[in-house]
Amino acid sequence: MTRVLPVVLVIALVAALPLLGDNYLLRLGTMGAMYAVMALSWNVIGGFAGYPSFATAAFFGLGAYTGAILQGAGVYMPLAWVAACLAAALFAGLLGLAILHLKGHYFAIASLVVAEVLLEITTSWTSLTGGGMGLNLPILRISVDAQARLFFWAMLALASLTLAMNWIVANHRLGFGLRCIRQNEDASGMVGINTTLYKVIAFILSAVFVGGAGALYASWVFYIEPPDVFATLTSVKPIVMALLGGAGTVLGPVIGAVLFLVMEELVWRNLLEIHAAALGILIVILIFFLPGGVLGLFKRRRKPAAPSRPLASAEAGR
Amino acid sequence: MKKQNTTTRPLWGGAAGRLTALALLAGAAGLTQSAAAQETMKVGAPLPLTGALSPEGLKQQRGYDLWAKTVNEAGGITVGNKTYNVEIVYVDYESQTPRAVQSAERLITEDGVSFLFSPFGSGAAKAASSVSERYQIPTVAPTASSPSVYDQGYQYLFGTFTPNSTLTTPLADIVANSGEEIKTVAIYARNDLFPLAIAQEMEASAKAQGLEVISFDEYAIGTMDHGSAFTLMRQSQPDWVFATGYINDLILIRKQMADLGITPKVLTMIAGPAYKEFIEASGPLAENVSSAAWWHPAVSYEGEDIFGATTDYVAAFEAEYGSTPDYAEASASAAGAILQVAIEKAGTIEPQAVRDALAGLDIVTFYGPVRFSETGQINSLEPPVFQIQDGTAKVVFPEDVKQADMRYGDIN
Repeated sequence: MTRVLPVVLVIALVAALPLLGDNYLLRLGTMGAMYAVMALSWNVIGGFAGYPSFATAAFFGLGAYTGAILQGAGVYMPLAWVAACLAAALFAGLLGLAILHLKGHYFAIASLVVAEVLLEITTSWTSLTGGGMGLNLPILRISVDAQARLFFWAMLALASLTLAMNWIVANHRLGFGLRCIRQNEDASGMVGINTTLYKVIAFILSAVFVGGAGALYASWVFYIEPPDVFATLTSVKPIVMALLGGAGTVLGPVIGAVLFLVMEELVWRNLLEIHAAALGILIVILIFFLPGGVLGLFKRRRKPAAPSRPLASAEAGR
Repeated sequence: MKKQNTTTRPLWGGAAGRLTALALLAGAAGLTQSAAAQETMKVGAPLPLTGALSPEGLKQQRGYDLWAKTVNEAGGITVGNKTYNVEIVYVDYESQTPRAVQSAERLITEDGVSFLFSPFGSGAAKAASSVSERYQIPTVAPTASSPSVYDQGYQYLFGTFTPNSTLTTPLADIVANSGEEIKTVAIYARNDLFPLAIAQEMEASAKAQGLEVISFDEYAIGTMDHGSAFTLMRQSQPDWVFATGYINDLILIRKQMADLGITPKVLTMIAGPAYKEFIEASGPLAENVSSAAWWHPAVSYEGEDIFGATTDYVAAFEAEYGSTPDYAEASASAAGAILQVAIEKAGTIEPQAVRDALAGLDIVTFYGPVRFSETGQINSLEPPVFQIQDGTAKVVFPEDVKQADMRYGDIN
């Protein structure tokens, strides 16, 4: 409990951000929370289980379109968000059964292609999705300040849920099983871990909140188009964030998401054209010098004092 | 290139200065202005300088830059006893709509811009308009044509493109009433925001004129081989082929149509033939291809704005960039010129007054007559229909600026 309390306090503190009355800051906060949802979700399949999934964009886009289409059909907004979570989870379950028997690079490529396929389907299915013209969502008739707060808190709540999910997984048999799978999948199977089931559950967990984040995002910006929500970068960024913070830990992806957001914002602000390249170089350097992420730095220093902490033990297996 | 491609920078310069500026901007945006002898008026411009839309973003940037340069060389904008130099603050939104919205909010709250130019296209302009509306920042959208951008009841958004139907209605009208035997239309559209929207508008316009739309096909972004679609199209022998896409698509489509022997009486393409590069790349195949755009360098107006006559604008643009301006570049320059006229009429840069001046504007510019409807979308512009004849684009509509009659047949 002493470990959970500070985290809850920090979340409560962040939730008070609207008090500052700066809507730009709230926008950044909402993006930060969205990044955290994606990084934490990826962490379950990529960090714990060691499966390099590039399917985040597929789940995100699927959630965004599910939410947008349902809202367009008159479904109450929060219900549309929940439906998007379920749609992403269902899709991940089916997809997981199909591609989780692949390993390493093969799995990475297969998961990467999924977003491309969905992008093509969404673009071609003009009658349902508006195709290349994109989809407009019903505009909320509340003040824009209220909107900024609403979406910030909703995204923050989603991020907190994802964090709790990570914590539960890490301390549950599932987390143990996934770490075993990462270290040696065949041996895990032999000692009685149902590897297929565990991997599919991990894949579903890596999708469910990302789908919700996609739907929230769609409601937030009022307008989505296929290349925006199925962007390959959406798959890559969570991986970078998790690596930055410390993949396979519970708090690492959150720290990575915040760090990434800050760097992205600073570089973007100060360079007009080559910001993408500058950010890339910065990240390469950071990952090069911090192979265990930011949390890895702490862990190495603290290791003699606390050798067997459940949270920190996971990311060591590189 | 640096973050702010400024035309004037009276106080700040260099990277160190920019960092200091960033630290101070949130609290003290006003202070940087009052110290200068000639004040600076900031206009924010979120542009897709990188990513898929970067060619369009760079076009808009050229249009804005030319306006800012022209204004500052003429001594700035004078209102009352103050003179303002124009500084355009650019932000790259990476061709991503959410970033565009974020950019708009950043430009207003952090960079302290007085006015805003919308991001590229209808989608991003619409998304960003909710931000500028809330902060009551007069916003000019130079590249948003869809009426759904303007029908949100917003007060501060003004657009320089008429609805898509104003391009297709005159086209259908001219072709249907030409006296030629033209009964059937085949439409071939790129599945993308504007190309698909204009194709659907064409379908409606053609049907309204009693023409039969025998096919409506879409092709995916990045398609390199249109062979199967054209083989089907050849079987139905359409009298009129209407193809949409961007310049590279249309050059390819024109060549592959010729290879497969599709010879309609009328071939209309939007939006490629408006560019000189289309004629250069297609050579004789460009001959008799018709098109429509919101503006064309061949139109001729005596403007009351800073650029003066259309020919003067074209000359200034050619002197600056060595190429002929197209409608996107001209619209960006026009957005600046129109904003300037409104500021001068308002006699202040106070947002509410400038907004009212924009709403009440009734002037002629190099770009055409400018008057905004209730919703803020321009309704005075008559987009020209033109046809490539003898290697150059000739205006065939509207009557006032007409240069030639539409030709039929002779498309091989």
